[in-house]
Amino acid sequence: MTKPIRLAAFAALAALAVAACGGGGGTTTTTFKGTKKVGITTTITGNSATYGRAITRAAQMWEAETNDKGGVNGYKIELSILDNGDDVAKAADNTKQLILQDHVVAMMGGVLSSQCQASMPIAHQNHIPYIAAICNDYRNTTSPDFRIPEYVSVVPNTYMEATAAGIDAGKNTALKKWYILSPDYSFGRAETPAFVASLKKTNPNVQIVTKESEWYIPLASFNFTNVYPKIQAAAPDAIYSNIFAAQQAAFIKGALQTDPGFFTKYKFMTLSSVDDYQGLGDIYPQGIRVYERAPFFAIQGDKIKTFVKNFRARYNNDYPSDWAVMYYDALTVWAAAVTKAGSFDTDKVLGVLTGGSFDTLRGKITIRKEDKQANVPVWVGTTTKDPSYPFVILKDIVNPPGNDLLIPLDKVLKMQNGQCPKNDLNNCP
Amino acid sequence: MALDSLVLFTLAGLSLAAVYFIVTAGLSLVFGALRVINMAHGSLYMLAAFVAWFVVAKVAGAEFGFWGALLAAPLFTALIGALIEILVLRPVYGREHLLQLLGTYALTLVFAGAVRLVFGPDVRSYSAPGFLYGGVPVMGHSFARYNLFLMAVAVVIATTLYLVLTRTGLGRNIRAAISDPELLAASGVDVPRLFTTVFMIGTGLAGLGGVLVAPIGSVDPGMDANALINAFAVSVIGGLGSLVGSFVGAVIVGLVLSFGSANSYTAPWATAFVFAAMAIVLTLRPWGLFGRPEQ
Repeated sequence: MTKPIRLAAFAALAALAVAACGGGGGTTTTTFKGTKKVGITTTITGNSATYGRAITRAAQMWEAETNDKGGVNGYKIELSILDNGDDVAKAADNTKQLILQDHVVAMMGGVLSSQCQASMPIAHQNHIPYIAAICNDYRNTTSPDFRIPEYVSVVPNTYMEATAAGIDAGKNTALKKWYILSPDYSFGRAETPAFVASLKKTNPNVQIVTKESEWYIPLASFNFTNVYPKIQAAAPDAIYSNIFAAQQAAFIKGALQTDPGFFTKYKFMTLSSVDDYQGLGDIYPQGIRVYERAPFFAIQGDKIKTFVKNFRARYNNDYPSDWAVMYYDALTVWAAAVTKAGSFDTDKVLGVLTGGSFDTLRGKITIRKEDKQANVPVWVGTTTKDPSYPFVILKDIVNPPGNDLLIPLDKVLKMQNGQCPKNDLNNCP
Repeated sequence: MALDSLVLFTLAGLSLAAVYFIVTAGLSLVFGALRVINMAHGSLYMLAAFVAWFVVAKVAGAEFGFWGALLAAPLFTALIGALIEILVLRPVYGREHLLQLLGTYALTLVFAGAVRLVFGPDVRSYSAPGFLYGGVPVMGHSFARYNLFLMAVAVVIATTLYLVLTRTGLGRNIRAAISDPELLAASGVDVPRLFTTVFMIGTGLAGLGGVLVAPIGSVDPGMDANALINAFAVSVIGGLGSLVGSFVGAVIVGLVLSFGSANSYTAPWATAFVFAAMAIVLTLRPWGLFGRPEQ
């Protein structure tokens, strides 16, 4: 082979090699300054695996779209996603690995509040931004035991969604006697008293038919055979629940087995999501009141329509659940902050996030500087069948603005200063 | 406690007991005869539930699919059990229990991944046939008809197992394996074949449990761990290897959970009571209420 031909062949091979290495999410013409990793530890297996899949899908879609547009600050973004199998210790281990070995520049929060609380100290020790997209215990931003400067929440916290649900529930003055059912871990323990407080504030005549010690059931309890007799014996007008995923499915199914008219006899107010509707399909009760964090079918605007279209095109015509919407928003907000800061440096990014306003799928949100909690809305509605969708959606929707749901600032400051005994908002002076 | 509540909570407790017994019987039988703690027992329970969902939701519908699944899924898990026994356990019989535990634990990870790969991570659901749906009136309240069905099935399973163990040649050999495995081998019984058969019965029962329990709950990739935890609690209390122990252990656990959650003072401790009972039994009588001490 002559020298010029060898040189030409070498150049062609080199060009091919460069093109191959520059692949992945970006176009072959995009030149990145480098790669930055973002860490996600989520429930790909375990009882909340449905949520983990929604999160992973939304995150990977965001990654591809972002890199197609040139990345963030010229850097390609690579998501490092690890499975924690719903296990708290594993979530903490994953966080350590992502930060110390993978050198992620940001962590996106886990599903369970307990997982976030186990991971937050690690993020704090290493000064890495921790963006909560799903876990939402209000104490994560207010309790001196939990809060860290690196934590930012773009999900309605337990106080916010409980307040929205409590106000809505309290307005139905015919419902006087309430039975409470909540999972026994940090999320349930934070949200349920907030719901009760909001319900009683809206309707002081309500009566909770069980003592607080009976509200909570083990997180891993999926057989409610011993719960239905309790409910029937208590004869409430309504049941409030914030159990979710497989546990909610088991409760609803068992209740309908016990009495097909169960949810007619006892009005039901529950946290729910598109994943929960899809899980039970036609069995999911119609006519019950639910509160959701990000139901795509109820959110207005072109951004969400584009997101749904792209999501369905990418994922076999599946609809995005609330978790997908919120996770996409979390990554969007983080990237916007990095872009505005011009840097991945934690202090600069947090400086932009704190008090900053961002355009998201759920509309424009502002992150309050005192607790780094975004004023994200909640949707409350009645389940109904709609021929456009293969699962129930909501009608008679109430969508209180996030600003109306935020924890009052004076209480935030009291909690943060340790003035509220047992770190309970209801105990604040 | 009012009489109607007493009756309802008793029925609820017995219904829970039925579920626990159905799930535990196979685990206990396998340990009794083979001295193997099958960590993959919950995985087979889960696998059967997913197979049943597929049969009901995609093939035959709720009315016929449920009965079809009741036959097909346990058969499927029994065949898987045969493969597990031959390929994983047979090479490690007679060696330390840790190897069996590790081997069967590894299978739980394999099955978890396989289920997620084939069926996805979503929560699934299927219902029992129409005539088992709904409640029966009990003292002015409603009690799920399906739970009564489960109680009846548990009694049938217990009776069938008892008859097999006491009235058949297979049962005689199984009891001999439990009592004195060396003598059994010396008596000319094809021990490897016997062990495979027993393991198939045990895993078939796990599968039966999965099909039967799913209509009152959900079918999800995390259900294996939940089933195994409850099964171990029942087995430890009743005695691993004892059919009577599984039955009594299940009744104890079911009633403790049911009445434990009945009032505000004990409700937060209901689950703890079960594991406290387990700890007490392990301390005072490690082989369980009806088990036999290791020789």
